[in-house]
Amino acid sequence: MSDTAAAHEAPTSTGIDHKKLIMWLFLASDCMFFGTLISTHLLYRKLYPAGFTDAEGHQRFIQNLFNIELTSFSTFILLMSSFLMALAVSAMHKGQIKSFRRNVLGVIFFGLIFLGCQVFEFTHFYHQGLTIQNSVLGSTFYVLTGTHGTHVAIGVLWLILMYFYSFTGKLGGHMGALDVEVAGLYWHFVDIVWIIIFTAVYLVEYLGPNGIWGTGLPAVAK
Amino acid sequence: MSSSHEAAPSPDFLAEEVRRYHHFIVLALWLAVVTGAEIVLIFLPIPVAAVLTILTLMSAGKFFAVILWFMHLIYDKSLLFWCFVTGLALAFASFAALLCLFSVDRIDTRWFS
Repeated sequence: MSDTAAAHEAPTSTGIDHKKLIMWLFLASDCMFFGTLISTHLLYRKLYPAGFTDAEGHQRFIQNLFNIELTSFSTFILLMSSFLMALAVSAMHKGQIKSFRRNVLGVIFFGLIFLGCQVFEFTHFYHQGLTIQNSVLGSTFYVLTGTHGTHVAIGVLWLILMYFYSFTGKLGGHMGALDVEVAGLYWHFVDIVWIIIFTAVYLVEYLGPNGIWGTGLPAVAK
Repeated sequence: MSSSHEAAPSPDFLAEEVRRYHHFIVLALWLAVVTGAEIVLIFLPIPVAAVLTILTLMSAGKFFAVILWFMHLIYDKSLLFWCFVTGLALAFASFAALLCLFSVDRIDTRWFS
């Protein structure tokens, strides 16, 4: 811990502000939650590699469904929103409320773009025949990415409220900076979960000719 | 949320914040480059096991970079780091346990009779 951090030590038995400690404990529990969802998706991908059957009864493979350009774009957007959130927290620590508002607006904007990309992706998948009910793949995929999207939506709502609250003049000083820091922790957590989902759910589907899970079909002799 | 009528931050604290600001910019650029490299990597003609290993390392690098710098764990008390790592370890242990359970292809049911 740095000297400056020691100078701002909270008057608690741990020396850590209670809000911050509770948020970290919540994030640790959310880690287990997402860990289970990601594990479930990966295990069912391994057990049922065949993909899904669309409304016309055709066998479809998820490799042909994913749009790596769109997912990469939304990943980049979320990473940059995390950067802006770090700048917003830093601005709040320095007492620069205008800079804080600018950066938070950027985070909200990027968060909404990410959500828009996810809605577009879900709609596209649905029209291609992948629903939450017609396959194990659909169930695990929508539950995992949908839960993450819900977290992003909650984060966006939280930041919108914080943005408007800053105009009341009550969001200032050390406690105001702490409130922003706690919201920032949540936002960064949403970002790190996506870092894992991007690799474990999307990128692995592109490894090898049929993804690392294969197609579930018997090999054809050449 | 509190009143804004509090003491101004000390010069040392402001200097530290400026230093962190530069770290954040470098880290954001680094994260963008690594993400770009991940996308390029999956299309390269490299053995799948090697790509998978590199992707895992890159993701872990990004993950820890964000929690250490953007989430201030490197600047905060170590108790917070260990709180989070405990949750992470339990998540990973759940994954490992599920992987072991589901890697059994056929269970000998005579054990249960």
